Formats: sequence, C-alpha cells, structure tokens
Amino acid sequence: MATEFKLPDVGEGIDAAELIEWRVALGDEVVEGQPLVDVQTDKAIVEIPCPVAGTVLSLAGEEGDRIAVGTVLAVFGQAGEEPSAPATPTAADAPETAAAATASRTDAPAGREQEPPAAPSPEATTSRPLASPAVRRLARERGTDLREIVGSGPGGRILREDVDVPAAPTGDRPPFAAGATPPSRGVAPREDEVVPMRGTRRLIARNMADAWRTIPHIIDFREVDLSKLIAARRALREHGAELSTFALLAKIAATAAIRHPQVNASLDAEREEITVYGAVHLAVAIAAPSGLVTPVIRDADRKSAVEIGAEIAALSEAAGSRSLTVEQLRGGTLTVNNYGALGSTFSTPIIPPGQVVNLGFGKVEERPKAEDGEVVVRPLQWLTCSGDHRALDGEHLGAYVNEVVAMIEQPSLLLADLT
Amino acid sequence: MVVGEVPEPVDLLVVGAGPGGYVAAARAAELGREVVVVDREGIEGGLGGACLRVGCIPSKALIELAHAYETTRDAGRAGLRVSGAEVDLGAFQDWRGEIVTKLEGGVGGLLRRHRVRYLVGEVSFSRPDRAVVAFVDGNSSFLEFKQAIVATGSRPLELSALPVDGERVLTATGALALTAVPPAMAIVGGGYIGLEIGTAFAKLGAKVTIVEALDQVLPTFAPSLVRPVLRSLENLGVDLRLGTLATGLDGDALVVTGADGEERIEAEKIVIAVGRTPNTDGLGLQTTGARLDDKGLVEVDERRLATPDIAAIGDVTAGPALAHKASAEAIVAAEALCGLPSAFEPLAIPAVVFTDPEIASVGMTLEEAKKAGLDAVQAKGTLASNGRAATLDADDGFTQVVVDRAADRVVGVHMVGPHASELIAAGALATEMIASPADVFGTIHPHPTLSEGLHAAAEQLVERAPVAVGGDS
Repeated sequence: MATEFKLPDVGEGIDAAELIEWRVALGDEVVEGQPLVDVQTDKAIVEIPCPVAGTVLSLAGEEGDRIAVGTVLAVFGQAGEEPSAPATPTAADAPETAAAATASRTDAPAGREQEPPAAPSPEATTSRPLASPAVRRLARERGTDLREIVGSGPGGRILREDVDVPAAPTGDRPPFAAGATPPSRGVAPREDEVVPMRGTRRLIARNMADAWRTIPHIIDFREVDLSKLIAARRALREHGAELSTFALLAKIAATAAIRHPQVNASLDAEREEITVYGAVHLAVAIAAPSGLVTPVIRDADRKSAVEIGAEIAALSEAAGSRSLTVEQLRGGTLTVNNYGALGSTFSTPIIPPGQVVNLGFGKVEERPKAEDGEVVVRPLQWLTCSGDHRALDGEHLGAYVNEVVAMIEQPSLLLADLT
Repeated sequence: MVVGEVPEPVDLLVVGAGPGGYVAAARAAELGREVVVVDREGIEGGLGGACLRVGCIPSKALIELAHAYETTRDAGRAGLRVSGAEVDLGAFQDWRGEIVTKLEGGVGGLLRRHRVRYLVGEVSFSRPDRAVVAFVDGNSSFLEFKQAIVATGSRPLELSALPVDGERVLTATGALALTAVPPAMAIVGGGYIGLEIGTAFAKLGAKVTIVEALDQVLPTFAPSLVRPVLRSLENLGVDLRLGTLATGLDGDALVVTGADGEERIEAEKIVIAVGRTPNTDGLGLQTTGARLDDKGLVEVDERRLATPDIAAIGDVTAGPALAHKASAEAIVAAEALCGLPSAFEPLAIPAVVFTDPEIASVGMTLEEAKKAGLDAVQAKGTLASNGRAATLDADDGFTQVVVDRAADRVVGVHMVGPHASELIAAGALATEMIASPADVFGTIHPHPTLSEGLHAAAEQLVERAPVAVGGDS
C-alpha cells in the first residue's frame, strides 16, 4: 500500500519551503530516516528524512519550486513496487526544427514561381508557442525558451509581461556596438552562464533589498588598537584557554550591549514599537557555501569567551556542511561580522531586518599610530558599526561603540562583569 | 586593379542589391558595420534587383494600365462613356521608366545615408573569406571580407525547346518591356507570373493563350480561390490549355501537345514563364564551406547562416521566391552576423497574385490545418453581400478564415477579390498575433469597405453561448 508523505511544518510559522535538492530518485528503495530532500525555509536549509521504508513512487515538484506545507511531497510504496507515472508529467512537445520555418519548394514541371506556398508550413503554426512576433523576439533577446513559459493571456497566449521579467545580466550577448569589429575568430570566449537565484541566494536578495530599502543606516567608524587584547589572548592561551581574537571581540560586543541595551533591540514600523531585549542573542555572520548565513549564539552575554569561541567554531562547521537548523538561525538580537577574516580592512555592514545594529570587524594590521607624540607601530583594526537611525541616534550608537572600543583597548574592563 | 593585387579588406560584403541585399546592407550599417554591396547590374538601373527593375513593380504598372483601359470599356453601365481610348505602350514604357528610376533613387539614397559602398561587378567566392569581383571593363579585384551575405536572387528558367531570343520568344521581363500590344500572345506557364501577364495583355487587347503542363493553374492555391480567376479569364477570352506541353516553334506558331494531340497556336509573341532558378551557379560558394542542394539553393539555418560568417537570403534559399520574404530574412541575417539574437521564424508569409480578381493567402488552408491535426473550421465572408464590392461591380469573390478551435486562433486567411493584395496584411497580422476570431470580430472594420469580408467571416467563428429564444416551455 502506498504511503503519501506531506511536507511537514519544518519550523514555527513557516507555511512553505523551497525544494533545494532531491536526495532520492524515482524508483529508489529507501530506508526510514534516509535523507529524502533538502528544503529551504525562510530561515534555513532543512533536511527532511524518508518517513518510511519502501520504493519511491512519486516526487512532487522540481528543484527550485516552492511547496506549501501540507502538500504531498512524495509517495512511498512497498519495497519492489514499480512507479507508475511521474508526479509531474511533462508536455510532449513536438520537436521544432529550423526547417519547419521554411516550406520546401515544390518542383512542379511548370516551375517554382507557380508555387509560392502561403504558409511556412503547417508544423510551424501548430507546434510553436502562442506568441506574437514581438514577444518571440523579446524571448530570443532574453535567451528565454518560450516552450517553457506558461502564458498568462487568453487561452495561454504568451504576453510580453510573461517574458519581460528582469533579465539575468549575463544571459545576453552584448549588442554589436557601432564601430566595433566582429568577434575575432580563433579565440573562444568563455561561455556566459545564467545561474538561477535559488534558496539562500534568493533569501539573501530579498532580505538585503528589504533592509536597504527600509532601514536608514547610520555608520560609526573607529580605529582601535588591539595590542592589549592580543596580549590578553596570549596570556589566556598560556593558561590553557585557546580562543580566537574574534571570540573575544564577540564577547565584548555582547557585554557592551548589556550596558547599552538600546542596540540590542528590534523595531516594528507598523506598530511603531521598539522592543529592547533583556538577553543578547548574538548573530554571527558566516560565509557558507550556499551564501551568507547568520546563526545565533544564545545568551551570549552570559557565556564566557571560551564558550562563545566554541560555539562559533561549531556553527561555522554546521554552516559549511549545510546542517544548520532553523532553531540555530532564529532569534538573533544583534549581529557581528568578522569580514576582516576575508581580508577586508573596512566595510559597511547592512543591518538585518528585525535588528537595529550590525557591528563589523576589519582586518587586524600593524600600522603606524601616534602615541604620546611618537609614531609607533601597533596592531590596529577598523570597527564599523551600522545602526538603524529610526531606533537610534548617533549619540546612542556612539555610546555603545565607545564601550566596545574601551573594552578592546583595555580588556581588563571585562573583569567588571564577572559575577 | 588587377588580379594578384593585395586583397582589399571588407568588413561586410553583400552580394546583390535587390530587396534582400539592400535591406541587409542598411540594417548591418545601422548596427555599425562597414558594408560593401556588389551587384552585377550597372549603377544605371542596377539598384533594387529584379523585383524593382524588371519584375513586381513594372508588372504592377502594366496591370494598372490594363485595368484602367478595361474600365473605359466596361464602365458604361455605371455611366462612364469613353470614346477613342487607346493604349500607347511606348508612352507606358516611359512612365514605367520614371517609376523605376524614382524607386531606384530611393534605394540609392538609403544606401548613401547608411554609407554603404556600391560596386558594379560579378562576384565569385574563392575562399571562406575571399571573393573576386570581375568588373565590366575586364579588370578585377580581390576582396577579403570578414563576413558576407549572399542575396543574388533568381532568374527565369528557360526551356531548351523554346530558347529566349528577345524578339519572338521572351521572358516575363521581355513581355513587360514591349512597346506595342501584340495581336496574339502565347504564354507558357500557368503560374502567377503567366496569369498576371496573360490577364494584363488580354485586357490590353491581345488574343492570349496560356499553356500549362499541369491540369490546373496556380496549384498551390485552393481550387475555390482560383475559380473566380478562371471565370474572369474566360470572360476576357483567354484560351487556357491545361495538360498541354509546349514543344517548339513552327513558323508563326507555337507547337503544343495536349490530350488532342499536336496543335499550332498562332502568336506573334511567346512568353516563357515556367519558373525561376536561383543565381548560385558560378558564385563559387562551394569554396566557402556553404552547401547547395540539388536545386542550387543554399542551405541555411534559422539565422540564415550558411557558414558561421556567410549568410544567404531570398530566392537563393528554400521557401517561396518572394521579395518580402527576402527582406524579412535580410534583417535576420544582418543581425545574426552582428551577434544579435535573431531568427527567421514567421508563422505566415503572405502570397499574392495580381490577377483579376486578385488572390491573396496567408497561413494554413482548412485542408492543411486538418492534416496537421488541428481541430480546424473555416467560414467565409462573400463579396456578394458586401456593399463596397457592389459599387466596384465585383461580386465574385470571398474572404475565408481558418481557425484552430482548440487554441481559438486564426491560422489562415485566404481571399479572392479586388484589392485582396492590400487586404491580406490584416490576415497576416491576425495570424502572427495569434488573434482569436473574437479578436477579429471585436475589431471595428470600416464600412463600406472590402475589409468587412474578414469581419463577417470571423463573426461566424466566434463561439457564443446560445441565446434562448421564445416562450417558457
């Protein structure tokens, strides 16, 4: 007997998910718990296991499709059962040939000119998509195959707006510019590639565009001297506490946020409310293979730098293997970004929707610094702290950044928070 | 310049200055190319190709003259009394010359505006990137081109039994250049050119005989479209000999062999109109990697490319040998060679015949649509019920619309009647725009015009919910 398996509720408040990758194929014999499919929710990529053992009889949807919670995702049959038909039948399109566009000339004894065929050929009219010449031309310019488009016009006619969606900039060959020479022969240019925006990329695009459109950013730039922080890290290591500079910076960011709670907040524009959080759940930006993710260290303010360092390492590893859970990605109240690890001296972080501050750390470099009238070389770093000006003024943001800078330049201040 | 000289570099070479070549040259120039056009006809009367100079345009001028002359004789019922109307073909040739000169000037201006260079000579390709141009004065020159477009057109087919001498045996071109109406004319070939010339000369007063080897004329058009034309030819006194072969000349007569055996047809002028053959012989295209089929047509892809850098368009490629097809292909070829995404993919190429009445057709006939597996139906709007047709004293004709019911779209429009050649563009537009019969019927057509035929045909094909009529049974 066949078992239908519906897309379960993969996380609180999530009503749909995007299919990222099928991990089984039609007809596969599977065991219970074997990975079935990876889906992307608004928060994370979730691996959904096979609920039963048996044969995969059908799979619903293709990679990139959005599936509503409760939709039948797969059907499993008894071991050995044959799949009957694919869940999503594809239309059998008659092949379109170049020859179909032109009628063959008949060769009657009276001669060719007596045979001006009225139509290119019957196949040309019957097998081709329902689209006007201008739409066909637009599709060609966009590199769109009209056979893959479902028209929104009467009777499925393909309209300009069905094709005229923002083009992938790499899809077209550049037009032949005036005065230019034709492409040279012999040197094969690298092929253009169109990459569909799926999963994490699509999510990042949506969130960042939202943030950029709605959040007025103010940005506070500081140059800090890490001499003492690096010395403290060395001293800790000598006492057996192995931790990264970034772990210490994250600890400082969380501790300073307790003293300046206005940065550990969220803003609801519709209700015109700012929620100031009691606990610091520190979101850490991590470059994962699928794109930027920001898993959360819960209660970072109440954790030691060593604990925070261990969590960062664990979350990075999970991000690398795409095994972050929805739970690990949810609930951040303040974001830190260690783009200095990627080589950047100076960047301007974008505040994720739902928070009001993103604190970025640049690359630590030995640079000259004026100290007591002398030029000295010190390990320096640019801090860049973005704040949501709707929730914070420069004064509020600056107070927080002052605290962060003070703790970095004088780590013994952290002792005050020991309880 | 002499052979052996350093080849001259050319960005884009266009061979032929007809409706394919000059359109391609202008489009490529618009896209930034430096274009050289070479045509074998002299600069005097060399531009515009056969269509403009010796084909479509001159024949339409003659047909117009014939129509006007016929009106002076036949419009008595409508109250027009003309006496002493005469045809002066010598004066006609002057007028025709003015028309052609004016149009050639237009083409010349187009090429000048686009800074296209024009050379007069015979081109033959010698390599994938090189061609020799032989000039009239005996000199020649090498051109080394980056890309080329072949648009050399076609010429009339000749019959070995009836070699064209330009005096008694003429091509259609020769017939259009006559300075006097011959008492009798025999035309070999019942295709559209033979019928157009035959109709015109019959109206001008010649005793016309049309000899056709097949048992029908205009075989690519549906018999129902051809029937009004056959009735008209009979009224004009044209002697139509179907299933008859022209075998040679005998003194003042054309010798033919038909079902009744051999026969002599007295005729001062004999016009050979048995078809056209592509001008690809002697072009040396095989040296470029381009491939010709057994009829001499260049094999091209949907972008009209025969090789990555050589395109071919118009009568030298497969499909109907029509000027508007060549011009449409010209745009595609020019854009394709400039790296733009372009393809020749019309749903419909209109075909028109300037007989009396005119025939015009676009898209599929009912039979073709059914054969292609469509759920096809058709409807007719007849001239008999058209007010404007009545005022033209022309009620023999109709407009027929073929519809695919499954897709609710017009797939073909076919017409026979006055000005069908002008009216068919609406059918081509409906077909290309995937119009439904309701789209056509919902478009207001002006009254009183012949265009109402299309409207009336579409109305019959609009699917409407039945209206309940009568009592409450």
